[in-house]
Amino acid sequence: MLGNFDYVRAESVEHGCALLARTPGAAVLAGGTDLLVNIRNKAISPTLLVDFKGINEMGGIAFTDGVRIGANVPLNAIAEDQRIKTAYHALFEAATAVATYQVRNRATLAGNLGNASPAADTAPPLFVLDAHVEISGPDGTRRIPVRDLPVGVKKTALAPDEVITAVTLPPLATGVRTKFVKKQRIKGHDLAIINMAGYYDPSSGELRIAIGSCAPTPVLLPPLPEPVRRDDPLDDLTAALNRIAQEAVSPIDDLRASAAYRREMIPVFLRRILTALLHEGED
Amino acid sequence: MEQLIHITVNGTKEEARVPAGMTLLEFLRERLYLTGAKEGCGSGECGACTVILDGKAVTSCLVLAVEADGKEVWTVEGEASDGKLSAIQQAFIDEGAVQCGFCTPGMIMSARALLMRNPHPNDDEILEAMSGNLCRCTGYEPILAAVRRAAQQESEDVQDER
Repeated sequence: MLGNFDYVRAESVEHGCALLARTPGAAVLAGGTDLLVNIRNKAISPTLLVDFKGINEMGGIAFTDGVRIGANVPLNAIAEDQRIKTAYHALFEAATAVATYQVRNRATLAGNLGNASPAADTAPPLFVLDAHVEISGPDGTRRIPVRDLPVGVKKTALAPDEVITAVTLPPLATGVRTKFVKKQRIKGHDLAIINMAGYYDPSSGELRIAIGSCAPTPVLLPPLPEPVRRDDPLDDLTAALNRIAQEAVSPIDDLRASAAYRREMIPVFLRRILTALLHEGED
Repeated sequence: MEQLIHITVNGTKEEARVPAGMTLLEFLRERLYLTGAKEGCGSGECGACTVILDGKAVTSCLVLAVEADGKEVWTVEGEASDGKLSAIQQAFIDEGAVQCGFCTPGMIMSARALLMRNPHPNDDEILEAMSGNLCRCTGYEPILAAVRRAAQQESEDVQDER
């Protein structure tokens, strides 16, 4: 027995949010791969789990203008979607980097964001892709940028009676490249020591970088003052971004790595990302 | 508060009243006495509790029994039929992929889920599918060989039937 709590399948988003609103200690159950572990470890003891998985409007991957990924979509469904692999490559790479194959059959993108771990692998790609979360509550639906969702370690901008119903990504300009990289202690299942995502639009020269596991929340770096060109010297670019990044992060020592190691890894991973974004596919 | 659930396990319809805090793993082991799936870590790291839920390999320690209401579950006990081991089970024996055996039911269910979605996996696909199953005895090479052999055997069996 994991704990002493009740369980209800929400019949609709409204029904589920009403339950969250009127039940002190209620929690949203998505894939459960973080929530149930936290209950087992007695880190939390919710009184009621509200399961939104049966709700149609919170499922499915819909390509319209950009893409809408329902909150109930498991990470493997994202990793196996060829359209996402092609259009939003960094998100594909991050989705396959989370935990293990079995866990990804349950764990959801929305859950990875809602859990608000500083190490959430899917957060840096969604930051650079300018993704939004669709949030429903008793007062209706609102949209906020994914980068505004986490406000601290395991803390989000969600009210207790709100639930993420979808993640939306804008369409990308032709030629845009995205890349995700992750440093972990072992090749298999491990949380990130550092993770990083990049976005580069060769036509405008816009470069975006987001770094995870190096601050209480993932960090979207402020932009470089000048557009980035493919033939900019890699050393100079890495150094310029590293200066910005070192200001923006505040890593800690933990069981996975020291703060100093994380700072040392930032330029290493910046260079890898820049190489992939600017030079991959060249002779 | 107990809840009434209906789950089809290895083709048999089961009905039970369970507390919300009971995991699918506990339901299988302690209510149905299907003790093939094991609890190793209890937190989705080791894969010893892997079963197939509506066609997907999942760690049953991280699924509530009430979440499985209305769904179909396959466990290692559903592998053998008419007293004959499945191709995957036989391949694990033939390749020496079993030592202590604790991880084996989970390994076999991850392999089964893989062959259900991809009957002809390459080595990378096998390794990805099995990456959530830890084994502390064999060193994994015999397990990889067993899944390779089982895929080969099952595709030959399918051809024989035609």
